[in-house]
Amino acid sequence: MTSEVRRRGLSGPTIERLRLLRKKTVATWKVYRRNRMGMIGLVALLAFVVISVFAPQVMWVLSHIAGWPSVYGPFDEIAPVGSGLPPTKDHWLGTDFRGNDILTRTIYGSRVSLLIGLVATLVSMGLGTAVGLFSGFWGGWRDEVLMRVTDVFLVLPWLVLMIVLAALLPGGPSVMKVVFVIGITGWSGTARMVRAEVMSIKNWTFVERARSAGAGDYYIVRKHIFPNVFPLVFANSVLTVALSILSESTLSFIRLGPDPTRVVTWGNMLEDAMTGHAFLNDLYLWILVPGLCIVFVVLSFTLIGSALDEIFNPKLRKR
Amino acid sequence: MKAMTIMIIRKVLNSVITLLLVIILNFALFRLMPGNPINVMVPPDPRIPAEYKQHLIDEYGLNDPMYVQFFTYIKNALLFKFGDSFTDPGTPAMSIVLSNLKWTLILAGTSSILMIVIGMAIGIASAWKRGSLFDSGSLAFTLFFYAMPTFWFSMMLIAIFATGLNWFPDSGALKFGTRPEWTWASFVDLIRHLILPAASLTLGAIGEFALIMRGSLADVMTEDYITTARAKGLRERDVMRYHAVPNAMLPMVVLIAMTLAFVVGGVFQTEIVFNYPGVGYLTIKATYDLNYPILQAAFFLIAVIMIIAVFIADLLIIMMDPRISVG
Repeated sequence: MTSEVRRRGLSGPTIERLRLLRKKTVATWKVYRRNRMGMIGLVALLAFVVISVFAPQVMWVLSHIAGWPSVYGPFDEIAPVGSGLPPTKDHWLGTDFRGNDILTRTIYGSRVSLLIGLVATLVSMGLGTAVGLFSGFWGGWRDEVLMRVTDVFLVLPWLVLMIVLAALLPGGPSVMKVVFVIGITGWSGTARMVRAEVMSIKNWTFVERARSAGAGDYYIVRKHIFPNVFPLVFANSVLTVALSILSESTLSFIRLGPDPTRVVTWGNMLEDAMTGHAFLNDLYLWILVPGLCIVFVVLSFTLIGSALDEIFNPKLRKR
Repeated sequence: MKAMTIMIIRKVLNSVITLLLVIILNFALFRLMPGNPINVMVPPDPRIPAEYKQHLIDEYGLNDPMYVQFFTYIKNALLFKFGDSFTDPGTPAMSIVLSNLKWTLILAGTSSILMIVIGMAIGIASAWKRGSLFDSGSLAFTLFFYAMPTFWFSMMLIAIFATGLNWFPDSGALKFGTRPEWTWASFVDLIRHLILPAASLTLGAIGEFALIMRGSLADVMTEDYITTARAKGLRERDVMRYHAVPNAMLPMVVLIAMTLAFVVGGVFQTEIVFNYPGVGYLTIKATYDLNYPILQAAFFLIAVIMIIAVFIADLLIIMMDPRISVG
């Protein structure tokens, strides 16, 4: 690794930092590996990621093993449009009222659910971390202003704010809109947490030393404060992905998510199941399977996040 | 005492500022809408008489310059005036929201009490017997329900107990077409309709309270005064009851206030699945009809209730925490 880095012409300190980063990652992994729940979560998540990335290939393999008439796509009308059909040899989970194969839709649904969860988390963690870092670092009136705004987002119930935003933002339903709405409503808790952490870090002597050496605010925050809060932010990001996936499924369920005829998510599959009266037509698997997928993905992110939190959160390590 | 007064005044000020920011957010959001702000307050339906529309435009000053509109808006918001519902002209949106509020309060109130009481009991029991089968069992239960979307759990309950076993009705707050009365039959009907939605809300959130209580107690149990209490020869029961639990309550109150926002989110989902005629059901229906006055009124009312709830929680914390109240 070192020689490769040197060939790209990176300076000595950068190499040193990369080496340190690798050492830290290896050390963290050694602790993480001993956390049984964390490992279960990681393995389950990897399985979901592989299935979602290789969804078409998975479908190809399945259809050849099971001898289905064709390789189904998530929007292919392969059954009569109407009330949906119960499971058969060719459609393991049955078909929905759009005439789509439910198993196929479930497999493809993992893509958007995971994608929205990850990107929305990036948005909300980025925003929350930035607000928390500067609010905690500056203090004074700027902190006061930022915290009052944070309070508004903290006090408003997430779902209510999401509903109003999703209903009001111009343009039809889309993946981008859902990402924006989840990101903009979910940052306040992170901001609070990061701010508290920064307030305890900023009085350490190394910050004082950097300042007396003439470092500016932005430089100190970037070089000295942020690296120290990063592990905690990272652990919380993983937990936030779980919440974002739940938010996405809820928004899709109340028909404020992406258009179900063009984008499949587990949330809009469940909304279909509800409007298609899956209960009355004995299509229980239509409700059960997408729901369990949400539960297991959220669970695996939660297990990983809690394991990381145990490693990185100084308050938890003490116990 | 003085520190306490200052703190309370600060909290009051913060709440007022939050309220004003909510009003500003509300104003800005509903005017972000493409096109004319008149579309937000005046029903687009062409069958509605033009005089009525003109009356609304005059009353809410919708043709005034933006800054005049802004102050009119603040005044109206503080008077709870958000225009008339689009779907039933002549009826103020707020009065419709308020009439639905009682159902939300019944549902949210019942399940909040249940989830706090049961959750705390489980939390105390698992902190007491840490590492036991009960402890790990309740942890697994907690995680599973935490990962479950509330709306999905509601659907499963309907599938099993309503359409499957036919024990409970699957929608509404009362038998279709009836109104609440002060009779035994009406009360029984109300409870029968309440059980499934309340169960879905309660079971979904018990875990969170159990986890918080367990964590809070686990922190307290490492304190020196617990060792002292044990050294005095107190029974484990009494150590729990008189020394550990009261001290673990403080973080609990903070978190109950925080969790309230999530309870509201859960209520919304439960109401839509069960067609329960509360504020959540109304709000989500309003997004489908683009019924903006209802949406604004519901949003504002919920914000006000939350601000008051958080303020009360803050007051309780100030009163309960001896480090603040004694000075």
